[in-house]
Amino acid sequence: MLEIEDLATAYGKIDALKGVSLSARGGEVTCLLGPNGAGKTTLMMTLAGILRPQRGSIRFEGEEIVGRTPAEIVARGLALVPENRLVFPALSVRENLLAGAFRRRDRAAIRDDVERMLDRFPRLRERIGQLAGTLSGGEQQMLAVARALMSRPRMLLMDEPSVGLAPLVVAEIFAIVRQLHAEGTSIFLVEQNAHMALKVAQHFYLIEQGRIGFSGTPGQLAEDDVIQRAYLGRRRAA
Amino acid sequence: MGRVIDLLQTTLDGLLDGASYALVGLGLTLTFGTLRRLNLAHGAVAMIAAYAGAWLHGRGAVPAWGVALAVVGVAVVASLYVEWLCFAPAADGATLARGGAPVAGADAREVVALASSFAVWMQLEQLGVHLLPRHLNAFPSLAAETEWALGPFALRPDRLALALLAVVLTAGLATWLARTRGGLAWRAAADQRVAAGLVGIGVPGVQRMAFAVAGALAGVAAFAVLAVQGQVTPMFGMWVLTKGLVAALLGGLGSVRGVLGGGLALGVVEAHAQGLAGALGREFATWALLFAVLLVPRRRGGAGRAHGA
Amino acid sequence: MGPEHAHAIGLATDMAVMSLLALSAYLLLLAGRISFGQQAYFGLGAYASALATTWAQWPLAAALAGAGLVGAAAAFALALPTSRLSGLHHAVATLAFAEMLRIALQGWHWRWTGADGAPAGPNGIDGFRDIRWLLENDVSDAAFLGLAAGVLGAVLLALALLWRCRAALALRAVGQDDTLAAAQGTPVRRVRLAAATVAGAVAALGGALYAHRTTYIEPALFDPMLGVHAVGYALIGGLGTVFGPLLGVAFDLGLLDATRVFAGWRMVVFGGLVALFLRWRPRGLLDEATLDRLASFLGRRRAPPIAPSLETVR
Repeated sequence: MLEIEDLATAYGKIDALKGVSLSARGGEVTCLLGPNGAGKTTLMMTLAGILRPQRGSIRFEGEEIVGRTPAEIVARGLALVPENRLVFPALSVRENLLAGAFRRRDRAAIRDDVERMLDRFPRLRERIGQLAGTLSGGEQQMLAVARALMSRPRMLLMDEPSVGLAPLVVAEIFAIVRQLHAEGTSIFLVEQNAHMALKVAQHFYLIEQGRIGFSGTPGQLAEDDVIQRAYLGRRRAA
Repeated sequence: MGRVIDLLQTTLDGLLDGASYALVGLGLTLTFGTLRRLNLAHGAVAMIAAYAGAWLHGRGAVPAWGVALAVVGVAVVASLYVEWLCFAPAADGATLARGGAPVAGADAREVVALASSFAVWMQLEQLGVHLLPRHLNAFPSLAAETEWALGPFALRPDRLALALLAVVLTAGLATWLARTRGGLAWRAAADQRVAAGLVGIGVPGVQRMAFAVAGALAGVAAFAVLAVQGQVTPMFGMWVLTKGLVAALLGGLGSVRGVLGGGLALGVVEAHAQGLAGALGREFATWALLFAVLLVPRRRGGAGRAHGA
Repeated sequence: MGPEHAHAIGLATDMAVMSLLALSAYLLLLAGRISFGQQAYFGLGAYASALATTWAQWPLAAALAGAGLVGAAAAFALALPTSRLSGLHHAVATLAFAEMLRIALQGWHWRWTGADGAPAGPNGIDGFRDIRWLLENDVSDAAFLGLAAGVLGAVLLALALLWRCRAALALRAVGQDDTLAAAQGTPVRRVRLAAATVAGAVAALGGALYAHRTTYIEPALFDPMLGVHAVGYALIGGLGTVFGPLLGVAFDLGLLDATRVFAGWRMVVFGGLVALFLRWRPRGLLDEATLDRLASFLGRRRAPPIAPSLETVR
């Protein structure tokens, strides 16, 4: 569903991605693991159209999306839940959800979708009129996911959904990921928390210093090996 | 009793003046709310638009509504010019990462836009003065011939109309921001730029629209205020910026409803200061009020996003 | 002495005076603050020195010193509440203060009878006339230029000497990233106060020289445009060195004004240049990077520049 080939993106003077190639299949949860600074967020931002790559191609459902604006990419069915949530703090929960559906024009269906999101995330329903900036970290993460889902994406991109959250909340978030997968949503997920990510992924990659270092299924690599490389970027001495 | 009536009359006059301050401050608070940056060229935009109108009026045979259209049109163009030169690039994080800014840190983008907008202020003012070198220039006058009497109070209908215009525009803008999809896009872009891009809001386009609308508002305000006065001087730009800035800051930069309250408060304070200490006292009070407000530590959320509240 | 000669001397003197004002804005920019109010100290220095030489009959040197002190004191007093304000609020607060001062001067009348029987002293909006110390003491234009250049030179020397010492490094660190500087133990507030105080003194010196050169000052001269120009000079000339503001002044007064090429369009050009510079060269002509290259070209090693903080995409 998503094919990335030889993608290279610079951020300022830094070459964050140095030629990344990977693919994410439809209906699966694909995970990219790596330590800080490896280029995970740069990759996500490039996928979403916020950053332009220096070279390489990104094909989503067969269509090339490099060079397209974020609005066009959302219209094609690729939505990003950004790192650090990035909810609209001065807008209410409801307005955040409506913003997620910005590119859509079917008002009745949007209203229905809002209701559906509130059913899926009852905590958000409780706080529907509150300003998003006053929500807790976990609630903001749920809101960010819900906001992305409002655009009815065919693939959901998630950038480090567990960062900064308490373990209990992290478990909740990954339960949501599992649930979405069970409903058929394709998910491409970037994470530092290898333990939780490997539990939900069907396929994973390791990114190290801007390049892919490993590709396979959970179980192909010993978990502590993965964790070492994902957290510390360090291979275990052979 | 006579004293009370005098005080109330002064307050009434102050409110009417204050409404015009809110009107000229509306565009300024809008661009600040959308971008979190202050556009110091706002007054100059109003001035050059006004001068274009006065020039046209001086040519003769152009009806007042024609001048009004010209004023608004020139203001929109000038405002877009300011946006292009000063604010579009300032939004570019890469430039700052590459070359540094005159003042680094969180203030950097703010200061860059501040500084370049004052530069354009100088530019536009001089352009205007070239167009009309004289100090006093006639402007189509819609001033009222008579004064109305409201009980013991005197009320000029033209200034009342101006005040109503301010209220209507403020309410309209606030409602649009709070209730429409377009308004939501503006508030979202102001609130969290990156996330706005991610949900498909064209942030640079929103920015340009905000400047165009702010320019149109400046043009409308300029025409309305000057039509009551019947003339325009080179000091007009500074006047617009000063009054608009104080009104906007008093009400919380970025708040559309706030600028109305701020303008009204400023008008009333000025009117009473004038009563107590003459014209100098009035001028002094404007800046003293602003100074006092700036120095009081404010709650977070006072300045910032474009919002209806 | 031909008229071109006299004109050149006049121009040079004006540039020296404006350079002092530009330096004053520059010092605050170094500390990370933009001030649209330096014209207030310029005005205070002008009035204070004029009073000193006319009413108190002081010699010019004493009047200059007094003016500097007045500027320093006023700047310190203002900086106490304003140094904690952020960029935008600081800029507007300093502007408000300067305007309040200007308006107050418009209302200030203090007249006495001069030696020749005529009324003298500040006369509100009509200003302060007959500041004739230079004429009464037969100081030629050339000599005065020497004095002005001397004052400017002394200020530059002091700043240049301080440039490498801890105080200046602390100042620039505060300007680059005050959170980081505070974390490293720099007394940020004190640094800002010091910078503002010195800036006030420098601007006041400029004002004192100005008053005696033109023999007539009025409140309208110390308007926001003057302060805005001062900041503009510093921004164009470059923040990497104390000579930056001088370059900005030379560019505007020397090139644009003197050459009359852009007669009547000077502000259009100057304004456009400031805006363009801020777009592509935010730290001015003589920014740290350029100076570094110059220095290595000349074979000398500079003190390592403090790296500009990386802005992340917000």
